[in-house]
Amino acid sequence: MAAAALCWALRAARQVLPSPCPRQVRSYYVDWRMLRDVKRRKTAYEHADERLRINAIRKNSILPKELQEVADKEIAALPRDSCPVRIRNRCVLTSRSRGVKRRWRLSRIVFRHFADHAQMSGVQRAMW
Amino acid sequence: KDKSAASKDSTPEGAAKRQEDGAETPKQQLSDIIGNMKVEVSYRKKLQQLKTRENKKQAINKLESLDSEGSVPQGTTEDTQRSKPLNPELVKAASAVASSLPHNKKQTESELLAQLRRHEETTDKQKKGGTVNIRNVISEMTVKRQSPAQRGARISGRISLQLDEDGQRIRPERSSARSIDSRRSLKVGKRLNIFTKASTEPEHTLKTVSPPTIWDLEFAKEVAAVTAQPPRNGFEEMIQWTKEGILWEYPIDNEVGMEDDAEFHEHIFLEKHLEGFPKEGPIRHFMELVICGLSKNPYISVKQKVEHIEWFQKYFEEKKELLQEI
Repeated sequence: MAAAALCWALRAARQVLPSPCPRQVRSYYVDWRMLRDVKRRKTAYEHADERLRINAIRKNSILPKELQEVADKEIAALPRDSCPVRIRNRCVLTSRSRGVKRRWRLSRIVFRHFADHAQMSGVQRAMW
Repeated sequence: KDKSAASKDSTPEGAAKRQEDGAETPKQQLSDIIGNMKVEVSYRKKLQQLKTRENKKQAINKLESLDSEGSVPQGTTEDTQRSKPLNPELVKAASAVASSLPHNKKQTESELLAQLRRHEETTDKQKKGGTVNIRNVISEMTVKRQSPAQRGARISGRISLQLDEDGQRIRPERSSARSIDSRRSLKVGKRLNIFTKASTEPEHTLKTVSPPTIWDLEFAKEVAAVTAQPPRNGFEEMIQWTKEGILWEYPIDNEVGMEDDAEFHEHIFLEKHLEGFPKEGPIRHFMELVICGLSKNPYISVKQKVEHIEWFQKYFEEKKELLQEI
């Protein structure tokens, strides 16, 4: 009985990092703009299905127009952060909004820094 | 007990001597006989000890059956059993046995009492662990019963083979009986889970315990912190990362998170979900297009597709009044 409780507690405790090998954990976002972007991504994920279905009713030539007008009003009533257009692909480390390469989610300056220190796998200086 | 130890040492030596010498001298024969006599004496002592142990065990069982109500809440920890005092009858029996044996009375008494305690612990462990094993063994065994189909087969076999010789009549019945038994025994019984993933049934029985206290959690955290040594090499580091979930498991399984057990026809033929909609009109046309699109979608599970259709059903039901105005 006590052994079973211990096993359960051990499974729960394994989520905590053990002290001998600490790893750097980021506990804050870089700036408020990044935080707002994170919020927008979350709400967009939550309302994604609804938006898709209401848009399917709106962008339609079969259903009557009155129905489509009602659907227009409904989609406008959803929270403004739920539309995916508001999401901006910022740099993950510096929160720079411009000059961000999508494959690495990094801004050009950070990318160059890591590539020169040989910390980007498979990235080499171009020479031809 | 010292004599029994000495006799134990002499018996392997005597056996070695017998093995080595093919032709034994009379002196060696005499020494062998003396060695055998010593073995007999120690065996008598062993029998006496066994008898005393059996008597004590019987006494223990009787007392435990009487005291089972009091001893149940004490639990499985050894500390509580040691603190629990031995029964006075057992102590008297131990002192009587100690007086009967020719060695130091106090030493033998203390040793016998220590043995008593060990026996109590083992009997407790066996009571909790042994009965389960027997139950498992018996559950696999089934009573042989002749089903009417089998009876009919055997009778028909007998009738058809009466024309043949006697020797040939018996064999197919036996082989059919054996094949039927083997067929029954193949699928009956516990699975060994060698080729398939093990089911999580035994874990459910443990989860009925009360949730662990804060002290249990702290203790578990301490134990985890102490036992989790830093990785000695890259392999151990990768193992740790796999356990934490940072690294995927190799060979990469493309369907790790997904467990879609639905067949292809459940993905494609979705018209049965269209029963709540009117059979004619623009809505039906629209929903048929929706279903056509869903049937070509390999990325969503069947549940999600059904939810999609149900959302539309709800939506159009809410707008029924508006639709009827049109």
